Amino acid sequence: MIWLTWRQHRAQLLVTAGFLALLGLLLLGSAVEARLYVAGHAAPGCPGPGVACADLEVALGRRYDAVYSVFGWMPLVLPALIGAFWGAPLLGREYERGTHRLAWTQSVPAWRWLAVKLSLLGGAVVACGLLLSLMVSLWRPVFRDGIDSSFGNVGVFNMVGVAPAAWWLFAFMLGTAAGTFFRRTLPAMALAVAVVAATMFTLFGVSDHYAEPARVELTGTVILDDTDARLVGASWVDPSGREIPEPGSASGCPRRVDAGRSSRNAEAWQACLFGKGYRYAVYYHPPSRFWRFQWTEAGILVLASAALTGLTVRRTLRHAA
Amino acid sequence: MRPALEATGLGVRYRRTWALRDCSLAVPAGRVAALVGPNGAGKSTLMHAAVGLLRPARGSVGVAGEVAFVAQDKPLYEGFTVAEMLSFGRRMNARWDDQGARDRLGALGIPLDRKAGRLSGGQRAQVALTLALARRPDLLVLDEPLANLDPLARHDVMRTLMGEVAERELTVLLSSHVVSDLEETCDWLVVLNGGRLQVSGDIEDLLADHLVLTGPAELAGALAARPTGGAGVVSGGPAGRQATLLVRGAPALDPRWQARPAGLEELVMGYLRSPESAALPGLAGVGT
Repeated sequence: MIWLTWRQHRAQLLVTAGFLALLGLLLLGSAVEARLYVAGHAAPGCPGPGVACADLEVALGRRYDAVYSVFGWMPLVLPALIGAFWGAPLLGREYERGTHRLAWTQSVPAWRWLAVKLSLLGGAVVACGLLLSLMVSLWRPVFRDGIDSSFGNVGVFNMVGVAPAAWWLFAFMLGTAAGTFFRRTLPAMALAVAVVAATMFTLFGVSDHYAEPARVELTGTVILDDTDARLVGASWVDPSGREIPEPGSASGCPRRVDAGRSSRNAEAWQACLFGKGYRYAVYYHPPSRFWRFQWTEAGILVLASAALTGLTVRRTLRHAA
Repeated sequence: MRPALEATGLGVRYRRTWALRDCSLAVPAGRVAALVGPNGAGKSTLMHAAVGLLRPARGSVGVAGEVAFVAQDKPLYEGFTVAEMLSFGRRMNARWDDQGARDRLGALGIPLDRKAGRLSGGQRAQVALTLALARRPDLLVLDEPLANLDPLARHDVMRTLMGEVAERELTVLLSSHVVSDLEETCDWLVVLNGGRLQVSGDIEDLLADHLVLTGPAELAGALAARPTGGAGVVSGGPAGRQATLLVRGAPALDPRWQARPAGLEELVMGYLRSPESAALPGLAGVGT
């Protein structure tokens, strides 16, 4: 069975391994080059918060953006590819070609065929996802240490920790389940891609609710001093302590519309409000919630994968002919 | 002796339609049984239930010993070489005669390094059959093994099969909707029609037990109305002034009837034309 799994799915395994190897080389090269640059150009005490480090920060930022543009699309596209090319053909192609009647009438019973394939390929998918996460987590601090962790940006958040493994496993099981219900590869691939995309946007949307947001009241500024936090919402608090969506003319601060890209009038208005005792309440998730959010998202996806596995096994064993 | 294949009250349902109903039959060990019936009669369904691909909704079906199956269209993994298909068989089965399989393919001139997707129809059928035979099964189930094959390939496949049957104790159940394919090779007949079992029995006994009568049309009605001595009209009727009837048993005959033994094809066609007739062990009634 192990040989058969390898023989039938080696194309996917090799392409994925090759992709991860290439990506690893790219990240390694970029990190080494950045380290050499820092060693050659950094003023003493850099990288760090000092003013002298600004040039270095800009140079590192440019290097980071160049690589990030290559893999910025990966949180969405890679799970979709896993669903379409690892999941969908697993059962879809067997049914399509009629080979399920060959595979499931040998001495090895159909349930074992299914169990071995799902666990070997599912395990490989999880391992590949973790490897991707490891590589990104090693690469990113070279550029972003002291600037941000991987929490604030939801795209980056889904490239580190256990998120990629959970997403890949979910996409794989989704494609597999679609394959056994459609009994054809192409519709199963399409469904896997569509549902992975829909699930991703849904989960990105609901991720603000993984925990009760922290609340802080700011005076003198409307900008939270933590670029890595995830903002959930904000509102003004009047001097009596009530939250109000938008201070009106009763506040005594007239609001004038800014022309073009200037924010002078808005800033003046905010300064006026703060002067009259208004405060600005910000709801946000601090970066310390990184693992809580990682495990919540992974938990949702693993539960969904388990449900899809149950459906796949049931459907496949009942409709083996 | 235990039958090689036995079904009792077998019923299989796809959603709301019954593909197979109340099917009870036994194929004795060592027989080459022909499963015939029109398209959609339930032949594949019966076979899938027998090899465990389908779970029956009613009744049961059992097989004595190892069973090997070759599905319709002889599925093989297109991207595998013939050698890799053998490797598949060896790894997926406890019992496997690798040398026998290699010898057989060698004798047929099928190269082991050829991709399965590039084999001719006849070679494909031979590889599929070889994979099944290498498992040394007690029962071999073949779904339309001769469909889509040219006459030469048909002959070769049947020769491979008969060679194996002659060599060792092997029961074969093979389906076809072309009766003439089966005449020379099979010694047991199972007829399915519309999901119901119509005939199950030894071909020689069945042929000995049925007559084709030709005579004046006006006698047909009387014969059908008065079955005598366990005999009866299976099917047929007046066609113009002449009537041709398939009858079971030895009826007391009016001398104006001309009787001759039935051929296998006539027998099968006779039953298929009148789905209400049945010739089953333990069922005396014909034309009930």
